[in-house]
Parts: sequence; C-alpha cells; structure tokens
Amino acid sequence: MARPARPKFSWAWLGVMPFFLFTFLFLLYPSSTIVIRSFQDSETGKFTLQNILALFKSPYIIGAYWISIKISLITSLGGALFGFLLAYSAIRGNMPRFIRVSLLTFCGVASNFAGVPLAFAFIALLSPTGLLIGWMKLFGFNPYFHGFTLYTFWGLSLVYMYFQFPLMVLIIAPAIDGLRREWQEASENLGASSTQYWRHVAFPILLPSLMGTTILLFGNAFGAFATAQALTGGQINLVTIVIGSELRGDVLGNQGVGYALALGMVVIMALAIAGYTILQRRTERWLR
Amino acid sequence: MKSRGKVWAWFFIILGVLYFFLPLLATFIFSLKAKLGVLSFQSYINVFNDPKFIRSFTASLLWASLTIIVGIVLFVPTAFWVRLKVPKARTAVEFITLIPFVVPAIVYVFGLVRTYSHPPLLIVNSPLLLVSAYTILAMPYLYRAVDIGLRSIDVRTLTEAAQSLGAGWFTILFRIILPNIRVAILNGAFLAFAIVMGEYILAQYLAKPAFAPYMAVLIQNRAYEPAALAVLSFALTWACMGIITLVGRGSGQAQVGGGH
Amino acid sequence: MTHLSLNNISKQFANNMVVKEFNLEVEKGEFVSFLGPSGCGKTTTLRMIAGFEVPSTGKVTLEGEDITNKAPNQRNVGMVFQAYALFPNMTVAQNIGFGLKIRRENKEAIKERVAEMLTLIHLEQKGDSYPYQLSGGQQQRVALARALAIHPQVLLLDEPLSALDAKIRVSLRAEIRAIQRKLGITAIYVTHDQEEALSISDRIVVMYDGKIEQVGSPFEIYNFPTTTFVAGFVGTLNTTTAEVVDPATHLLRIDGVQLQAAEGLDDKQKGDKVTIAIRPERLNFIAQEKKANIMDCSVENITFLGSVVRIQVLVGSNRFYMDTFNNPFLALPNIGDKDQVTCSREAVLVLRQ
Repeated sequence: MARPARPKFSWAWLGVMPFFLFTFLFLLYPSSTIVIRSFQDSETGKFTLQNILALFKSPYIIGAYWISIKISLITSLGGALFGFLLAYSAIRGNMPRFIRVSLLTFCGVASNFAGVPLAFAFIALLSPTGLLIGWMKLFGFNPYFHGFTLYTFWGLSLVYMYFQFPLMVLIIAPAIDGLRREWQEASENLGASSTQYWRHVAFPILLPSLMGTTILLFGNAFGAFATAQALTGGQINLVTIVIGSELRGDVLGNQGVGYALALGMVVIMALAIAGYTILQRRTERWLR
Repeated sequence: MKSRGKVWAWFFIILGVLYFFLPLLATFIFSLKAKLGVLSFQSYINVFNDPKFIRSFTASLLWASLTIIVGIVLFVPTAFWVRLKVPKARTAVEFITLIPFVVPAIVYVFGLVRTYSHPPLLIVNSPLLLVSAYTILAMPYLYRAVDIGLRSIDVRTLTEAAQSLGAGWFTILFRIILPNIRVAILNGAFLAFAIVMGEYILAQYLAKPAFAPYMAVLIQNRAYEPAALAVLSFALTWACMGIITLVGRGSGQAQVGGGH
Repeated sequence: MTHLSLNNISKQFANNMVVKEFNLEVEKGEFVSFLGPSGCGKTTTLRMIAGFEVPSTGKVTLEGEDITNKAPNQRNVGMVFQAYALFPNMTVAQNIGFGLKIRRENKEAIKERVAEMLTLIHLEQKGDSYPYQLSGGQQQRVALARALAIHPQVLLLDEPLSALDAKIRVSLRAEIRAIQRKLGITAIYVTHDQEEALSISDRIVVMYDGKIEQVGSPFEIYNFPTTTFVAGFVGTLNTTTAEVVDPATHLLRIDGVQLQAAEGLDDKQKGDKVTIAIRPERLNFIAQEKKANIMDCSVENITFLGSVVRIQVLVGSNRFYMDTFNNPFLALPNIGDKDQVTCSREAVLVLRQ
C-alpha cells in the first residue's frame, strides 16, 4: 500500500522572501497602521468606532468628502465623454494614420504631466495675467470681471481634465480598436443604418469599458493632491488636502480621526478599482 | 453621413489639440518674458545658475536612479522566481504590486510618516525611506514591465537549457534572462524615472530635496522661473516617453501614469 | 433569366488593379464558388456584390435591378463573414433576429422565424446562449442563420470555413450545401481551398491576379483545365514542355518520346513548343492496362499516402508523379526498377499559356 506523500517544505519560497520583506516594511505595515489606528482611540489605544463615526459627524469632513466627490464626478464624467470622443475621432474618424499615433503618444505624456508643473502651466494660461486672458483682453473681454477665477473649484476641474482626458484615451483606445469592422459590415448587411449600428451593437459593447474607465477616472481624481495644492495652496478643501494638513500639524484635533479619514479614502479607491476590474473582465469575456 | 461624421471628428481633434497645447504654449511664452520687453531665455539662465535648482534636480536624479536600481535588483529576480519556482505565490505577489494603485500617494506618505517617526523606527528622515517609498510607488509599473518581458520569452525552457549547459542561478539571471528582457525593463525604468522626477508628495513630506518641491517653493517667490521649470519638466517627461516609445515598440501596451 | 449578373466589373485601389474585366451570369438557385489564391481578387468581387466596395467600372444586376451603387444596407443580400462577426452583446436568438428587428417585423413573426432558423442549423437549444459560449463551428452556423433569416435574394459567403478545424470544415460545408439546396437560394462562395470548391459547387470561377482564368463545373475544371494556372491550382499535375511533331494527328514529342494528344493542337505548327499536363491518376504501369501512349521510365520513389500510393518516375528528363489506388495484393515495383508507364490520348492536356 502506497504511503501518502508528506507535504514538502519547499525552500523555493525563500526566493520571494526579499520581496515580501520589502513590501511588508514599506507598504503593508505602514498601510495597515492606518487601518488599525482608525479603529483605535488616539489616547487610550482601545478599540473604538468613534473615529469612523466622527467622519460622519464633522461638517468640515463631510464637506471635504463632498467636494472631493464632486470634483471627481465632474472630471470623470467630463473626462470620459471628451476622452472617448477624442479617441473615437482619431481611431475611427477616417483620419490620416499619424493623428492616431500622435494622439496616443501625446496622451502617454500628458497623463503623466500632473502636479506642480501642470498647475503652473494653467496659471501661465489663465491667471489674471495669463496668456489666454491677455488675448481675450485684446478683444475687450476680461473673464475676471465676470466672476471667473482659476483658483476655484471650477478652475481646478479644468486643470484636472488635463490628465483625465489622456487617461481615458489611452485606456479606451484598445476597446475601440476591438470594435471589429465586420460587426459594422454585418449590421449594414442586415439592413441597419449607422445610428442603428451604434445603438444596438457598438455602444452596448463599449459600455462596460466606458463605465469601468469612468470609475477609474473617478478614483484618479479622488486621490490627486499635488495639482490642487500647487494651484490653490490648499484653499480648496479636498480630502487629500485635509490629510496633507493633518500631516503637517494636527488640524482635526484627534489623531484617530486623521487615520479614519485616510482609511475612508482607501476604501473609496478600492471600490473604484474593484468596479473597474469587474467591468473590464466583463468586456474581455464578451470579446473573447 | 460619413462626411458629416468626419467633420465632427476633426472638430473634436482640433479642440483637443487646442486644449492640450495652449497651456504648454502659454507656459513657454511666459518663460521667455523674464527680461522686460524682450523675449529671452533669461529665466532659464537664472534657473541653471541657481544652486538650489542644481541641488534639487541632481537630488531627484539620484532618487530616480537609486529607485530604478533597487527596483530592478528586487523585482527581476522575484518575478523570475515566481514564474519559475513558486507559481503559487503569483496571486499574492500580483495583488501586492497593485496595492499602490489603491493607496493614493498622500495617504501612503501619511502612513509612512506616522509609522516611521517614532523610535525605534525613526527613519522618517533617512534617504533609505525615500528611495524605498519611491520603489513602492514605481512598483506597479516596474514589476509589470518586468513581468510582461518575462512573459514574452519562454523562461522555463531558457533556464532549463542553461542549466543543462552547466549555468548557475546567477549566470542564468544576469547573462541570459536579463539581456532578453532588456527592452521591457528599459520601458519600466523610464516610466519610473518620469514618475520619480515629477513626484512631489513623498519628497515634500519626507523632507528631502527634490525637483518638484523646489518648483513649488519657487512659485511663491518668482514669476518667470517656475515657467521655465515647467517647460523643462514637460520636456523631460516627453523625452522619457519618447524613449519608451522608441525602445519599447511592440513590447506590449503603453503603461499609463495617473494624476498626482 | 439570370438571377445575378456582373458586367465588366473592375476595381482599382491606388495603383493596383485588383479586379479586372470580371463577367459572370449566375442562375437562380446556383451555387457558384470563386476559387483562387490570396490576393486574386475573389473577396473584393464578393464585397462589390455586397456593397462594401464600389466597382471602378461595370454593373451589378440582381433580378433585373441595377444595384451597383446601392448602399450595403439597402440590398437584400445575406453575408457570412470569415470571422463570423456575431454581435457579442446579443444572444444567438437576438443575433439571428437582428435583421428582422431592423425591418420592424413584429415580435411574434421574429420569434417564429428565429425558431425556424435554429431548427435549420440544428441549434434549437442554443437560442439564449452568447457567442462566446459556442464553438467555432456553432458560431458559423449561427452566422449563416442570421444571414438567411432576412430572406435574402443571394447568399454570400466569404471563406466561412477557413478559421475552423479540418474535420468541422468537411461536415459544415456539406451542411451549408444542403441548406442552400433546400432553400433554393443563389449562393456565391469564396474559398482558396480547391477541395472545398470542387465538392460543393455547381460551377467554379477560378481567379488569378484579378482575372477569371476559367469558369466551369467541377468536373470540367478538374479534367479539362484550359490554362496552366488552373491546371496547377486544382489538383496535382505533371507538366512539361513538348514539341509539336504533327498538329494534324496531334503528335508531340517530349525528350525523344512520342506522345499522342486528343485535341488542342489546332492552331499549332510543327516545331512549336507547348505546355502539356497529365493528371497523376491517369498514368499507370503497363502491366495493369495498356493504353495509346507508352513511355519508358525508371522508378525513383514510392510514397504511401493511405488510400493512394504515389510513385515518382523519371521519363527521360521529366519527373512525373503517378497515383494508383492502394491494393495490398498488387505488386509494386522497387525503387530503381525500369518499367513502362502508359496513358490515354485524352489524358494528355494541352494548356493555353
């Protein structure tokens, strides 16, 4: 009778130990600190849900989340819409080949061009002494006299679009490529017009990708910090800005709440990434 | 219908081009206005003469180079080992490499500072922490680039062939595997380079000299020099991406950065 | 009346004439194949019938109506694509019913027609499945049903089987033919596989470099090829150059051996060089049967191919292949033996260059 095999301890696992050690020290441990201390009372160290609850009780914090959500929503929807139109025009709009290549290359650069230099670029463009304002003034029109300023919520949204559009273009381009020409020909062959093809075939196929990428864009905007900080000096109270202030000096009066705030951000980001991944899987399954 | 569609296509593309290029144009023109009434490169000269610029720029170069080295030394053997010897670790490793996507930089640095600013782990001000943190930040891109590179070569067969010819692990890794995934690694390295050079949050809150915080300070005090810096910064990012496109042609899809 | 006719069709892309002087009349209910290598223009011609390409010159007429410039969604032709092109976001039933939905048929009529089609392709249980859940062969059948559901006047098939395994190809092509016969629908079938074309077509149009080389029934194309290309593309062939000895009696000479052809030398003179071809199965050893032409040969190689044995012989300086049916009790020569091969007069084909 054969003996059942003993589970062998494999020395091979030693080979991945450096990786696990490194990521533990510099990623997992600091991240878990956030999670754990969110549930710890900052003075006694005992387990508590008060920190989390405080998030919902403080109008300051709720306001911060609300602004963050608002800007993320607006720039994700706007970025998704315009990014999609841009990508579709370049790929399917019967354009010369170089337009598609240039657009994708540029978007690769632009999606990385965020933070301090981007803020400054827009300052150079739309500040009261900015280039575009100067051009408008030549025509006798100064938007600043009509209530426009760059350093507000809407100005910041405009700046955020600069890395949202390109991200959308880059991610949705493969999906648009995946719209096989035969589908349009098959639908034409069966009598459908262009609009009908869009309504019944192309749009339903692209929808999971569109939704997923919009969610990704949402997360992207939600987690952005440097751009807002550089543009408005921390005056617009995004959740990220609040966390930044909290780091510099305890503005919330309670360390535990600071952790809870950070945890809240991670939860929202995790939901966004999860939503994106699920929708991408769905698309891949259809297009197998 | 097709021609009407084409008009709309051109409309959106022109709109996009305007939106992308005007800020860059504005910045560039602004950077040329340092001397009154004349377009000149004065602001650039001022920047290059500023010792603080040299200090912070070279510091960023240092951080970026160290990050790439640490990343390659850590991720290439790990990815190789996971693929070859411990495939069961794959899910865990891939999950870990994706965590930085979920934890925004500001939250990450929050955790880092709070964790490492109390003894006995008082390393919050050490360069070790900064480089390690940058490595973590670049991990999703670097690790994925290495993994894609490994996927495109038949690692198992190459290793077995090398072993049958008498090669040890070190030889296999550095003389066989590494040269064959050179392109993929360069791809990831340049992306990591661009990310670290432009990174603001970690450098600022871990109180280390770097390019982006220097630029942020300059915005408070100077008018034209920040514009020159923005132009330089964009040119640098563009150069990195350009090299990636040139070097990495055909080695998988473009990897994207994100908002900061 | 001809059901579908293509008159003087040609198509130019940039500097390339992809289709030249294409003329064809197709009867109702006929199954016509366009056969040729890649790049010969067969798919482009098909797409001009479907409306996805507009001819540079010429006219396409369907049931008396000139459809040359009609938009593809206005013609009543059904197309089956090489890559199936099923809509991945719709179920099988929805795919099949799509054309009817666009035509605004009422729901009951659509349901009935879809059920009818599912029965026709033997996939009654798969109505609610999605394309990704089906095998390649099943997807292609659904594509066929989708094209047929709209009662098209012509069925167009663009290499529908080339993406499938060999076994499925054979069974599916028979199924396609059976369905076509049952419905009596005119069909144009594009393929590069000569066995496919030979087995299911009423007529074959052999194309090369944008032009029609020959049009005929499978029997005609195979046994009486008129050009070198057709002879070489369809089936295996022994070709060589021969010199005309006497055009009146159709006497030729290759390498000192005299051969008698049955026809094809009418416009030739003594001393002309012509290309002749002999099918491998038309040659046999003299021991089996003696025919009009006899040639000395030496046996070079014997290959066992299953039901057929292929023997390579040297006749003068010409290498010929001979196919005989495998018969375990028939003695085959050895390699190196000297023997004689024979073939009839009709087996010697004189090819137009």
